[in-house]
Amino acid sequence: MATFGAEDEFSVVQAAPDVFTKAKSLVGTGLLILALPVALVALWWGASINGLVSPQVLPRPDWVVQTFLDLLASGDIIAAAAVSFRRIAEGFLIGATLGFFFGLLIGKSRTADAYLGPTFRALAAVPSLGWLPVLILLLGIEESLKIVILAKACFVPMAISTAEGARNIPAGLTEVAQVLGLRKRTRFLKLTIPAMAPFIASGVRLSLSQAFISLIVVEMLAGTDGLGYMMAWGRTLFQLDIVIVGMIVVGVVGFVLDILLKRAEALICKRSAANG
Amino acid sequence: MRRLLSTFLLAATVTFGAATAHAEDAPGTIRFGDVGFGFGTPFGVGLQAIADAKGFIADEFKGTPTKVEFTYFTGTGPAINEALSNGQLDFASYGAVPNIIGKANGLDTVILASYGGTTIFGAARPDLEIKSISDLKGKKVAIQKATIIHWGLITALKNAGLSEKDITIVDLKNADQLAAIAAKSVDAVFGADFLLPLEDKGVAKIFYKSSEAGASGDGFGAFLVTDKFRKAYPEATQKVVTGFVKAAQWLADDKNRDEAFKIWSRAGTPIEVISKSNSGSQLGQKYNPRLDEFFVARYRSAIAFNREQKLIRRDVDLDAWVDPTYVDNAVKTLNLQSLWPDRSAAGVLQN
Repeated sequence: MATFGAEDEFSVVQAAPDVFTKAKSLVGTGLLILALPVALVALWWGASINGLVSPQVLPRPDWVVQTFLDLLASGDIIAAAAVSFRRIAEGFLIGATLGFFFGLLIGKSRTADAYLGPTFRALAAVPSLGWLPVLILLLGIEESLKIVILAKACFVPMAISTAEGARNIPAGLTEVAQVLGLRKRTRFLKLTIPAMAPFIASGVRLSLSQAFISLIVVEMLAGTDGLGYMMAWGRTLFQLDIVIVGMIVVGVVGFVLDILLKRAEALICKRSAANG
Repeated sequence: MRRLLSTFLLAATVTFGAATAHAEDAPGTIRFGDVGFGFGTPFGVGLQAIADAKGFIADEFKGTPTKVEFTYFTGTGPAINEALSNGQLDFASYGAVPNIIGKANGLDTVILASYGGTTIFGAARPDLEIKSISDLKGKKVAIQKATIIHWGLITALKNAGLSEKDITIVDLKNADQLAAIAAKSVDAVFGADFLLPLEDKGVAKIFYKSSEAGASGDGFGAFLVTDKFRKAYPEATQKVVTGFVKAAQWLADDKNRDEAFKIWSRAGTPIEVISKSNSGSQLGQKYNPRLDEFFVARYRSAIAFNREQKLIRRDVDLDAWVDPTYVDNAVKTLNLQSLWPDRSAAGVLQN
C-alpha cells in the first residue's frame, strides 16, 4: 500500500501550485523560448544585409516572408500542408493503434515478449530510410508507401511505451483487484488503462514527433506532393526561400503540436495520479 | 558595392588562406566542381573527370605554386549551385538545366566551354508494348525533374508529336526509379547509363537511346567559371580552358577509348556498361568543347524548356553568359580546328 501514499503526495504537490510563481515562471519560460529564435533571426538579418552570406543560399528574412505570403496566397502551402497532415493522421491512426495492442501484448505476456520482443526491437532499430527501397518494391510509390512508413514510425514508440506501461502497473493495484475479484473487463478499464495512461500519453507524443520527422524524409525522397516535396523542389530550383519557409512551417507546427501534447500528457498524468 | 566587396573578401580569404595575395596570375588553389557518383570517394563521368585523372589542367600550372582541387558532388546540380553561391568553387561542370536555374537566380557564372554530351536512355517494363517514344502515350514515366534528363524526355515527346500531357510524369531520384520500375509502379523510366543494367536483369527493356535520335537528342551542359575568378585571373582562366580542351583532344583519340572508360568506371559504373552506353558514338564528337552555333541553339532550347516548365522566374541573357574566346583560343593554339569545325544550329558541320 506504500505506493498509494507516494502517489497521493505527488498529486497534491502538482495540484496546488502557487499562482504567482506559476505566472512568473510562464513569462520566464516564454522569454526563454523566444530568446534563441529572436537571436537567430537577428543574426540571419545582420548576415544577409551585410552580404556575409550568399543571398541565394540564405535569402533575406523579408524575402522569405514575401515567399511565405506568395505561397499562402497561391494556396500552394495550404495544399502541401493538407496533404502532409492527412498522411500523418492516417499513419498515426494505423501505427499507434497497432503499436498500442502490440505493446500491450508484449508488456502483459512474457511468452509473447520472449517470442516477438527481440525481432521487434531489431526491426525497430532500422530507420525508416532503410526500409524505403524494400517498401517501394513491395508497395510501389503510391500513397500506401508513405502511410506504411509513417505507421511504422508511430508503431515503434507507441509499442515501447505501452509495453513499458503494462509492465509497470503497480503490483499493489493488481493485488487489490484480485482481492476484490474484479471482472476482466472492469479490471482492464478501471485499473490497467488508468495506470498505463501516462505511458500511453508519452507514447502518443513520441509517435507523432517521429511521424513528423519521417514524413519530411519520405516526401523528400519519394514524394510528389506535401511539405517535404515542396522543400526538396525549392532546393532543386535554387529558391532556398521556399526551403526556409518549409523549415519554419514544419518547425512551428511541430513545436505547437509538442506543447499541446505535453499539456495533455501532464493533464493525464495528474488525473491518473489522482485517480490512482 | 559594399556587399560585393565583403563577399569578395570572404571568398578571397577562403581561397588563399594564409598565403597572402599573390601577383594577379597566380591563384593559390583553383577549385573545380563536377557531378559525382559512387560510394566512398565519388568521381565524375565526363570531360572534367578525364582532365582531373590525366592531370591535363594540373600540368598547365606545373612549376607554379598554384594547386588544383577537384570535388565531385553526389548532390548533383543543386549542390553545385549552392557551392558556387557560397564561394566554394571557381569552376564547375554540370548539366544545362541546373546551371540555367543557377544563372537565373543570380549566380555570376560565365560559360567557358561545352562539357559535351550525355546519352539519355529510356527503359520500359518488358511486359508492355513500348518500343518507341510514341508508345508512351497514356503511360506513367519516372524521371528526376529539373535535370537534363527531364529536358530530354520532353524534347523526345515533342519530336514524336506528343506532349507532356499525354503521359504521367513521376519525379523520382535515380535509386527510387530502379525500385519503382522493378515494382511495376511506373511503366517506363528515363535516365543516364545507370538504367542499362536493368536490361541484363530482365527488369526493363531499353527502347530509346538519345544518341540514335539525331544530333540534338543527347543531354548537354557546360564548363563554367565564376565571373569574379575570370576577371581576377584571366591568364589562369585561359590555362584551365586549354587543359580542358587538351582532355577533349585526348578523348578524341580512339586509342584512348578503353583507358577513358576505365577512368569513368571509378564512379561505380562497370566498364561494360560504359562501353555499351558509348557504342556507336565517337568520343571526339560527343565531347566537343566548342561553343558554336550548335551549342548556343541547344542552350536556347534548354532556357525555353526551363521557362515552359516554370523552373526559372527570370530570363537568362545567353549572349552575355557565353564567352567563347577562351575555348576558341585553345582550339587555335592547339591547332584543332579540323577536329572540331563549326557546327550550325542543327548540328550540321559548316566547312
